[in-house]
Amino acid sequence: MPLYILRVSLDHLTFRLPSLLSISQTFDFPIRFVSEDKFRGILVVELAHKKDVQHLIDRGTLIMWIAELYAQAETYDDLHAQLRERPDLFDEYRQRTFKITPEAANYHFIGSRPLEIVKSFAYLDMRGGVELENPEVDFVVFEDYDSETIHTHEQRLARDGRFRTVYFGRRIGFSRARPLVKEQSVKTRAYYGNTSMEAEMGFLMANQTLARTGKIIYDPFAGTGSMLYACATFGAYVMGSDIDGRQMRGKSKGPDVTPGMLRAAAQYGVADKFLDLLTFDVTRSPIRRGGWVDAIITDPPYGVRAGAKRIGKKSTRKTPLREDPYVLEDGTFAHTKSTYVPPFRPYELVNLTLDLVLLARYLLVPRGRLVFFLPTVTEEYDAIDIPVVEGMRELKVGDGSVQDFGKWGRRLITMEKTAEDDGEMPKFEDQDINSLADKLPAHHDFARRYYERFAPRNNSTPDVPTDGESAGSS
Amino acid sequence: MVRLITHNMLACHVRNCNKDNFPLIFSEVELVIRETPENLDFIRRFLPKLDWTALVDTARSLGDTTLPDEQPVEMTDDQLRALHHVLMEMHVEEGNMTCRGCGHVYPISNGIPNMLLAEHEVGR
Repeated sequence: MPLYILRVSLDHLTFRLPSLLSISQTFDFPIRFVSEDKFRGILVVELAHKKDVQHLIDRGTLIMWIAELYAQAETYDDLHAQLRERPDLFDEYRQRTFKITPEAANYHFIGSRPLEIVKSFAYLDMRGGVELENPEVDFVVFEDYDSETIHTHEQRLARDGRFRTVYFGRRIGFSRARPLVKEQSVKTRAYYGNTSMEAEMGFLMANQTLARTGKIIYDPFAGTGSMLYACATFGAYVMGSDIDGRQMRGKSKGPDVTPGMLRAAAQYGVADKFLDLLTFDVTRSPIRRGGWVDAIITDPPYGVRAGAKRIGKKSTRKTPLREDPYVLEDGTFAHTKSTYVPPFRPYELVNLTLDLVLLARYLLVPRGRLVFFLPTVTEEYDAIDIPVVEGMRELKVGDGSVQDFGKWGRRLITMEKTAEDDGEMPKFEDQDINSLADKLPAHHDFARRYYERFAPRNNSTPDVPTDGESAGSS
Repeated sequence: MVRLITHNMLACHVRNCNKDNFPLIFSEVELVIRETPENLDFIRRFLPKLDWTALVDTARSLGDTTLPDEQPVEMTDDQLRALHHVLMEMHVEEGNMTCRGCGHVYPISNGIPNMLLAEHEVGR
């Protein structure tokens, strides 16, 4: 079975394998990781069919390019010896125009070294002529070095050729997904907000949802829709809701105004994929049935820049929620006015996370996915922080995917619905957080702890609000 | 937006409103037809999730009479195309959705419906 070399980004290492596995699952083809060390600049994989390479090229945002592997060795002598024994590999391309490109990881070529490398392959006996601009065949020689810090030119020169592995292959193509990260950068987006997710993470998340043509993907905390553009770009229909319509719409309202999110969608040519945007509180949702959403993708607000909210009143407010409508002086009901906004209270992250999993259990189709970011205090994170819900299971490779910011990080959680039935719409009741006091998840009360720079929790006097009062809501 | 595919998934959710709360009735609508690439496989797969009667009634209230009263057991491609048009291409951009049960009005502006409940309407 054919082996391929993937030139992969050294960023977001913990997202690498999950994203490749998700691509293989989206398009239902097997992939096997052959490299012993799977976290270097090159990853060797085995695919059952040649056509499957295209899926990796179309969807791999961490992939730079893919080549068919011809030989790999620790030294050039060994590499040349292997290639000399396989002239058949080149028969098909012998009369084609070609070029040989030397590349490297953790290393930059200087001087005449690249030319010497190219010349050392003269024995390949390629007769089609060299063509640097648009060759019919593009061979790559790839030297993979260890990362090391050097300070002098002499040290730099001494590194030449001291790579760990050298690969030789025929380049099949450059990733078509990776340039999307730049094309859809928030910097050039027609509409964005102060909490918009960077495009690269959006695409990595979209891959985890198994997004593709004909699927419906829903974001219950849509905000400015960062994740939805990525899902729609991968061909899925998307739907978003938010308690604050202004997030989705932007400042302007009125005739002939296109909501901000649709302007950005139109910029990326995916406006027709946006099924609908709705304003509602996800805990008081008008959705009438479950079992029809293929994936839920979301980056719930965790209070540092914006806090999650739900309809209700803080327990510190003197009056409880009204039982009857408020009548204005002119005899009309306040809530029938277009400017009416109900009172909101903070939505504590611990409650929100559990509710999100319960909602996914209800709305998703069997084997549908829930993909979301969970902020955690790095030192306190524990696997039990992920709510356990019957009918949902966490999918995790190794220790999971984490974006590490030092004292805190955000963890990309991927869950799958294992239940076959729809079940009941969750009740969205507040948990008794006091009863969790000694096993509070590391994302509890995240915003306050962020501002306190993650000082350890004071266990003797657990300062635990019952309804998430202190979840920051700046 | 507010396409009928979404509309078919929405019911009034005011506290204690559980009779005649679906489908929501459109009024004062500004309807826009936007052609959308067909994906008949998607329509076929989504079919079991739909409430057919509600869909047909709503489509007729918006002036589209292409759907039959009874849901066909086997859909022909032409019928699927008609369904695609109703579900995906009819956008209510402005107007109201009203609950037949409790009379709550959900206004739609710029294609985005406001389905936030008032404080006396949320469940406790």
